[in-house]
Amino acid sequence: MSMTLVQVVVSGLLLGAIYALFSSGLTLIWGMMNVVNFAHGDFVMLGMYTAVVIWTALGGGPWASVPIAALLIATLGIASYFLLVRHIMKGPMLAQILGTFGLALFLRYGAFNVFGANFRTLPDTLVGHSFVLGGIRFEGSRVLAGAVGLAVTLLLHFMLTRTAIGSRMLAVSEDATAAQLMGIRPQRMQALAWGLAGAATGIAGALIATFFYTSPTVGETLAIVAFVTVSFGGFGSVLGALVAGLIIGVVESVSAFEIGPVYKEVVVYVLFVLVLWFRPQGLMGKT
Amino acid sequence: MVKVTRRSVTAGAGLFALGMAGKASAQPATVKIGVIYPLSGNAASAGNYSKMASELGAEIVNNGNAELAKFLPFVSPTGGLPGLKGAKIQVVTADNQGTPAAGANQTLRLITQEKVVAVVGSYQSGITETASAIAEKYGIPFLTPESVAANLTERGFKWFFRTTPVAGDFARAYADFLKEQKAGGKKVDSIAIIHENTEYGNSVSSVIADTFKKDGLNVSQNISYSANSTDVQPQVLQLKEKNPDVAIFISYTSDAILYTKTMKEQNWKPSILIADDAGFNDPKYVKEMGSQVEGLISRTSFGVGKPGSVSAICDALYKKKTGGDGLDDTSGRGLQGFFTLVDAINRAGSTEPAKIQAALKATDLKQDQMVAGYKGVKFDAKGQNTLASSIIVQMKGGQYVPVWPKANATAELVLPYKGW
Amino acid sequence: MTGRRLLHLLLIAFVLAYPLVAADSPVYGRLGALVLLGAIGASAWNIVGGYAGQVSVGHAVFFGIGAYASVTGFVHLDLPPIAGAPIGMLISVLLAAAIGVPTLRLSGHYFSMATIAVGELVRVLSSTSDFLGGAQGLGGPAMPRSVFDLSFVSATPYYYIFLAVLVALLGLTHWIEGSRMGFYLRAIKDSERAARSLGVSAGRYKLYAYMLSAAFTSLAGSLYLCMFGFIDPESGFGILISVKMVVMAALGGAGQLFGPLVGALILVPLEELSNSYLGGQGAGLTFVVYGAIIVIIARFLPSGLLSLLERRKVVRRAD
Repeated sequence: MSMTLVQVVVSGLLLGAIYALFSSGLTLIWGMMNVVNFAHGDFVMLGMYTAVVIWTALGGGPWASVPIAALLIATLGIASYFLLVRHIMKGPMLAQILGTFGLALFLRYGAFNVFGANFRTLPDTLVGHSFVLGGIRFEGSRVLAGAVGLAVTLLLHFMLTRTAIGSRMLAVSEDATAAQLMGIRPQRMQALAWGLAGAATGIAGALIATFFYTSPTVGETLAIVAFVTVSFGGFGSVLGALVAGLIIGVVESVSAFEIGPVYKEVVVYVLFVLVLWFRPQGLMGKT
Repeated sequence: MVKVTRRSVTAGAGLFALGMAGKASAQPATVKIGVIYPLSGNAASAGNYSKMASELGAEIVNNGNAELAKFLPFVSPTGGLPGLKGAKIQVVTADNQGTPAAGANQTLRLITQEKVVAVVGSYQSGITETASAIAEKYGIPFLTPESVAANLTERGFKWFFRTTPVAGDFARAYADFLKEQKAGGKKVDSIAIIHENTEYGNSVSSVIADTFKKDGLNVSQNISYSANSTDVQPQVLQLKEKNPDVAIFISYTSDAILYTKTMKEQNWKPSILIADDAGFNDPKYVKEMGSQVEGLISRTSFGVGKPGSVSAICDALYKKKTGGDGLDDTSGRGLQGFFTLVDAINRAGSTEPAKIQAALKATDLKQDQMVAGYKGVKFDAKGQNTLASSIIVQMKGGQYVPVWPKANATAELVLPYKGW
Repeated sequence: MTGRRLLHLLLIAFVLAYPLVAADSPVYGRLGALVLLGAIGASAWNIVGGYAGQVSVGHAVFFGIGAYASVTGFVHLDLPPIAGAPIGMLISVLLAAAIGVPTLRLSGHYFSMATIAVGELVRVLSSTSDFLGGAQGLGGPAMPRSVFDLSFVSATPYYYIFLAVLVALLGLTHWIEGSRMGFYLRAIKDSERAARSLGVSAGRYKLYAYMLSAAFTSLAGSLYLCMFGFIDPESGFGILISVKMVVMAALGGAGQLFGPLVGALILVPLEELSNSYLGGQGAGLTFVVYGAIIVIIARFLPSGLLSLLERRKVVRRAD
């Protein structure tokens, strides 16, 4: 295996970890409440703008922007839950698509209004430089994002499966009425889920902004990636999102390198559709 | 019933007088020009700059400008169009939203509701195609300052005019430039073309590839990638592996930024790096990444030019309007297109579409009257400006300066590419 | 009841005479035609998305096929664009069968995701095809060569053509509603498992609904091409087209006969007029307003606007 190919795989893994990071929030909501959040990409976008604003206004780097973005988007998530999602959940799935799509447009063009159409980028020096390790080039900001992505995703998974509050959340997702009878308040758990998902998404956005361009419409591109990752990994499975993200990142990278960049999307979509046909619950979803 | 008071009588008399005056002069006090650009969606950044260029054009004419009046017959020192007895221009803008449907619908609104006398736009070639089709149906002149699809002037339209050079011209400029470098001893044995795969990237790259083939220049790699990619590392790694002598990028702003960053991450520099217009000429790109791409070669149809020239004066005025961003290839061509239209309206001395159309056909603007770096503006029977041209520029100290052809150069071409 | 009948007659008269009412304003005339075109697309989607409950977010595939079939007929064979419509419909039906058989097995969100993926796949592939004009797209006849090119200056002919198609489509939908297939589709939508246990071959009927829906969506695409004269991968297969179809039907009331029309009546003018009055300054206000309105309707009327009428009906019966 040539050195370049190893480099390609490594960059694919790093990319995949980032995909996993911003998809983990989506899968949590999806699995817990069966809600499709079409505005997910725009939540990421707002996390990115948080980082941009903190840099331009305060000169702060990711150490500042990540926690603030986490807090802000968590709040946005909870607000969305109470003001919108809670109500559309009662309706058919169509209402969810309708409502979250409207939310997406609102956020996207609200950002457009406030920040303008121009692209913003954060300087490379914000998160260290490139370094070479074992013949492979690593880029500081991507490594940080990938590492944090991995850590946050695992943390989320751990929280859901090993802690008391996690099991309460899962109880609500299994059967909200039964959970209520057990003294768990479903709405609180669901709001919490939206908050956690928002936090993870905000962190993702703040980190992605360190190496990717920020613009109001960037959410469109990212949303589709998130959907594919989540479906591939299995709705509700944070670990699935991680594995799926990594696989998709590598497949994308390698196909782009070997076949050609336009076809990398084709490969991913074909793979995705095949997985859906033969294993609809995704890699690690419940049946 | 209006109460008969002294005031109402005076007012009535005044209105009557105005009415009479209106009838006496068949010329309007305002000339409405429709401007349609992408003001939302992915191309909004460029669209907004182009819109501001048109607005600047109107402001220059309406407020007057003594220096420009020496060069441009449609600008007077005091303001208003000389050919229409001081009539002012009113720019009516519309957003094409980045879709051909919205482009067509908004053009219809501009023509039938706003009653514009002509339309300028619309950046994306596909949208210009549908928008101009509406104008053609209604017999209203439509001028595009920047859409480059070849077929736009092949439709047999009578009301369509284009001031910008097209892909074939760019390809010719690049080919001649590279052949000169080759003759001068530089290594030009392998050329990689990297282009985004929407209409812009595909059309320009295929014309470049064809032209190069005819001229004996070897295109070793032709990489097509999806616009707005999330990641371009594999492409850069591919390029690094094959290491072509020349790399030509055809991208929009977001990809331009991504590629520049990724090339730096992966530490790859071809000896000659060329980036076609669009993304790499966007003032935002220049501001954000200019310092890291020293020696980047691009083509443009706009150069600030010598102090006191039309382009320099307009650039300074534009900077004032935008709060710091100067004219670039897109906005420069936009302003040139707008001025061309205004020039025709001025010469027509009327807002009747047929007269404007005739005046456009008779356009003959000279090189020293240009905002854009064209040799002039003269339309052929298909509505294409035959004097449109481009110059090759190079990034030096965070700014693009003309380096080729020698006649337009204000600085020495420096190779190989330095980057960061 | 005569009050209601009179209202219905007035509505029908208005619909028929609209182009005359709007004769002075080409913009409003065109708006009427655009509303009808949107209603056709959304009503076609409604067959499988509303009645059968299979929420496809990839219907743009069929729309694009219709548009491309029309334009390629012109570009490669010099045919009037409308001649490509039946071909587009045929290809769409076949493609719907090909996609439908494996994906309709999937439930709910999985099906939606699969349709999104297929839609994106087709969009990307179409941009690499020279036959389809690649990313640059293809244009229809620049100058109409005959009346069959359906390239009119006035919107009135389009209005009546679209109206005829919509009436036919709604008539067909209404007939299905009352037929056995309609009955089965409702059962499947309510509970597929229960329907299957009662012997309904859910798979087959979902497939029929999908194929029928595809055919008319394709026709909408061909009509779009006739009116606008240009198509490219984004305007033919873009995900926004798919989403708009869904949103229009859902806003008015999916699974209701006139739901998509109501949705189109609200959304199409909303988009056009807010772009006209708010868009010129480039602050994106059009979409902020658009988004906010959609959110509000989804929040308060999750089953669509027509559910308002349903509530009144229920209330009245309770008296």
